[in-house]
Amino acid sequence: MFWLTCLLVATFGFVHLEELFAQISPTQRQVIYSRDSFLALLLNHIYLVSIAAIISICVGVISAIFVTRSYGKEFLPLVSQVASMGQTFPPIAVLALSVPLLGFGTLPTILALTLYGLLPIVRNTLAGIQGVNPAVLESAKGMGMSSIQVLWRVELPLSSTVILSGIRTSITINIATAAIGSTIGASTLGDPVISGLVNGNTAYVIQGAILIGLLALTTDSFLERLQQKLIVKHSLM
Amino acid sequence: MFRLGIDKVMFVLTTASLLSLILLDFVSLQPNRILPGTGHSIVSSVGWGYALLIILPLLFNLFLSFSFRKASSIQRYSFQLLMLILVFLFMPMLLAIFATQHISETQIHARTGLGSAFWVLLFLTSLSLIELKQKLNLSRLKICFLIILITFSWLFFYITAQLDTLAIVREYTARSVQFQQAFRVHLYLVCAAVMSSIVLSTLLVMLMRRHHVFEKAIFPLLNFIQTIPSLALFGLLIAPLGYLAANSEWLQSINVGGIGWAPAMIALIAYSLLPMVRNTYVALNEVDASVIDAAKGMGMSPLEVFLQVRLPLAMPIILEGIRITTIQAIGLTAVAALIGAGGLGNFIFQGLGQAAMDMVLLGALPILFMALMADLFFSTLMSLFSHQDKTSRESQ
Repeated sequence: MFWLTCLLVATFGFVHLEELFAQISPTQRQVIYSRDSFLALLLNHIYLVSIAAIISICVGVISAIFVTRSYGKEFLPLVSQVASMGQTFPPIAVLALSVPLLGFGTLPTILALTLYGLLPIVRNTLAGIQGVNPAVLESAKGMGMSSIQVLWRVELPLSSTVILSGIRTSITINIATAAIGSTIGASTLGDPVISGLVNGNTAYVIQGAILIGLLALTTDSFLERLQQKLIVKHSLM
Repeated sequence: MFRLGIDKVMFVLTTASLLSLILLDFVSLQPNRILPGTGHSIVSSVGWGYALLIILPLLFNLFLSFSFRKASSIQRYSFQLLMLILVFLFMPMLLAIFATQHISETQIHARTGLGSAFWVLLFLTSLSLIELKQKLNLSRLKICFLIILITFSWLFFYITAQLDTLAIVREYTARSVQFQQAFRVHLYLVCAAVMSSIVLSTLLVMLMRRHHVFEKAIFPLLNFIQTIPSLALFGLLIAPLGYLAANSEWLQSINVGGIGWAPAMIALIAYSLLPMVRNTYVALNEVDASVIDAAKGMGMSPLEVFLQVRLPLAMPIILEGIRITTIQAIGLTAVAALIGAGGLGNFIFQGLGQAAMDMVLLGALPILFMALMADLFFSTLMSLFSHQDKTSRESQ
């Protein structure tokens, strides 16, 4: 909540702090980034990250479930190997390589975010499902649950904390990568930073950087809270 | 017993490779570095004769993914591996042939762009290679040998000047001096950041082991830093450093400023600390207490216990921390190019600015390569340590 308040205050308050920023870069005529409103940039940033997160959560969880079922088992070694190897690729390289494929703009950014965000989710979902005690699975089957019931009522709930921590990693990385996405033409909170760096306007850089940092902290603390709720729920079960 | 089995993984990967070769462009011919090229499929680029060099091994692999008899699966996988190596070896050759057929000596600006089919094929064959590596249980040495073999085939065609028209090679020859310098700067920054964070995190861990109070302060702080996106941290360091530098001649004399290597270095080290401190601390604490007791019982001094028992046993996890840190630093240094730290990221951002995709590749591919090499290096080192563990346990 604290970070959210800070984020909102900064988003709406920067416009009124002209004098303060004028001291930071006294040589610049304009010290408040004005090509887009901070709110628009913030919303677009959140929009990009959420779209990418939704796609990668769906695809990631489903594919991890697929390779742990009997019909997809053959793909398990490959998928788990790729999910761990893929994380050696720096996000910035993935972002850069998506431009030749899709051109500039929002779409390649979403693609890169989705692809990169998939990896931690797949990896953690696999770890979560594989970590479920086989004895529990046996007793669930013994109780007469169908395989879908076992998945839905035993395997997924038991691995939910691990999956959520994968989602948290994925989103944290994606907020950072989306900021760099403004170099390939997506309009995000990275815009003021990049344009400030290009024009030597430190005030712009600081405004962008503060907002990006606050957004990351807000999201992270929100996800952390969710994680803790889940853990509490589990200990009650 | 007669049973028609099918290796689903290889079947899917090979079918997808073949489809991509049929449906997508293999290479494109660009008149210069900015204009988009005209695409050629693999058949129209080199003719059926040469195209079969790649298509036939793939078809053979497709055939091999069905098992008609109870043939030895090891044999089958080895054959598939052989076919994959052939595909890898023929790829640069086809590019060279395309260049000789389509680009004459006089067209000094014309270049061969790699088409989507080429990338998809490269990606899928690499996946197949990973799959076969696991099935055949190939040792790391054999994998290294394979990588060297494939690299040599590319190098051979490069040195004999048959790949000169390749877009990324043209881009490289145009700025080879800058490239080498950027590569060096990138490497230096990463090495310096990793080295100094090893020293710093050792100090922090020592402090935390002595006084457990610090644990509560250090981990939240490092976690906090790790959460802040790189672009934001780089940006936030500009103003204070710029201010300090403006007021200190000494800082100016060692080239510290709001932009440049200094903020990059600070941010890199700050990011590196969390994985390194966390892994080192956890690894050292998790060493089995009974082992430590046994060592003490043997009459070892506390220092000996630490150096000969605790540290070696914790080493694999510590190295894992250094591995994560190094890979992370390689990527972050690329972003640091935005604040004027230099390095390979320069090519990426300049290339993006000029819409010159080959230049972007010239920056991004070496970064990928560097990260993969670092990964290979540290995982080899880690396996050495855990191997040593096993043999010492067996000999006991």
